[in-house]
Amino acid sequence: MLNDILLLNKKHENAAQTILEKVLDERKGKYIITISGEVETGKCEVAHMLGRLMKKAGYKAKLLHMDNYYRIPPLERTDWRKKHGIESVGAEEYEWHLIYRNIIDFRSSEKSSFPCVDLFTGQIDHITTDFKGIDFLIIEGLYSMKIEDANLKVFIEMTYRETLEEQKLSGKEELDEFRMQVLEREHQVVQSLKPLADFYLDFDTASEIFHF
Amino acid sequence: MLGDVLLIAEKHENAAKEILPYILSNRKNKFMIAVSGESGSGKTELSHVLAKMLRKEGIVCKPIHIDNYYRIHPLERTEWRKKNGIETAVGLGEYDWDTIYKNINDFKNDRVSTMPCIDLVTEQVDQLTTDFKGVEMIIVDGLYAINTEGIDLRVFIELTYHETKKAQVVRGKEPQNEYRMQVLEREHQVVQSLRSKADLFISKEYQVREAH
Repeated sequence: MLNDILLLNKKHENAAQTILEKVLDERKGKYIITISGEVETGKCEVAHMLGRLMKKAGYKAKLLHMDNYYRIPPLERTDWRKKHGIESVGAEEYEWHLIYRNIIDFRSSEKSSFPCVDLFTGQIDHITTDFKGIDFLIIEGLYSMKIEDANLKVFIEMTYRETLEEQKLSGKEELDEFRMQVLEREHQVVQSLKPLADFYLDFDTASEIFHF
Repeated sequence: MLGDVLLIAEKHENAAKEILPYILSNRKNKFMIAVSGESGSGKTELSHVLAKMLRKEGIVCKPIHIDNYYRIHPLERTEWRKKNGIETAVGLGEYDWDTIYKNINDFKNDRVSTMPCIDLVTEQVDQLTTDFKGVEMIIVDGLYAINTEGIDLRVFIELTYHETKKAQVVRGKEPQNEYRMQVLEREHQVVQSLRSKADLFISKEYQVREAH
């Protein structure tokens, strides 16, 4: 997203390092990593650090943020959700066909376009990029574990209740009653999709322990 | 730019608060602000905070980072600069001013515009397509941004690269070596030569004062 703020720290770097080692070990050719988990659990930060580490190691990684792929733009979303009810919150809110098209373009080393929300103007810009020469695609988002084609599906083991401080700091959304309902609903959907992942990150139990 | 890391501090917020009245009291459609300063002086952070504050005032403002407009691709830039000599190669001529002015023109005329957008992770130049219709203001930030014609408010940050060395290492955007120091020294000379164009100065202590 354009103009987004990340809160980076050592746990994100440690997590990214562990993912990198696993990935370099097993990859052959174009490789897709998804990072899923509840709100403000560090998906974006881990994805960013992973991209950075890959760059240091001499690889090219492109990051896709699923928050850019909502059907309804950010400024209209709350009203839309209130109008359609809490069950409308979930995986169907995303333009999956756009993500899948980007994935196809990545695998075939083509030029590709994807939406990019500008958090200042509230508008949806578009980025056109060339996937030629790109080794890794890192896709982060609440429900990114749904992408079957991914080579590694990372899941961050935290719930939205544990990230309330980070949510307040990011100042992205106001934590009013409706927002809490949305978070609870997203939590249910994320937890129901959790079994689709194959690599679970737990920041809580010491930053060095990651299990596959 | 994609994948940029901003380190926003209280001083950026305080300076932006003091700059805001200069914009609001002269408010008009298609108002242009420029922020110049040496590497690591906080141009992008200040622009970010300023755009956020303007949004709170109901003003749609888009930051434009002219670091996206280098003629020579990031991966080739070091070689090109070494080949052509730092004295001649580093400076105003490194930027694609034709495209900068074309995009500014798109902004003034409420058009859809395509701008270069560097991805710092892949080191590619992607293309960003945006609609300037409804965008009331832009903040042009970059080393030599206040050299741009048609700017309504020119802000100059007085910090030099000597003072900002620590911040640059933390940010990790560029490798720190002797060659880099030569580039910074040359950029420093060019930036300082633009001082007289400023409307507002931001001191090394991040205090705002009028130029005249």
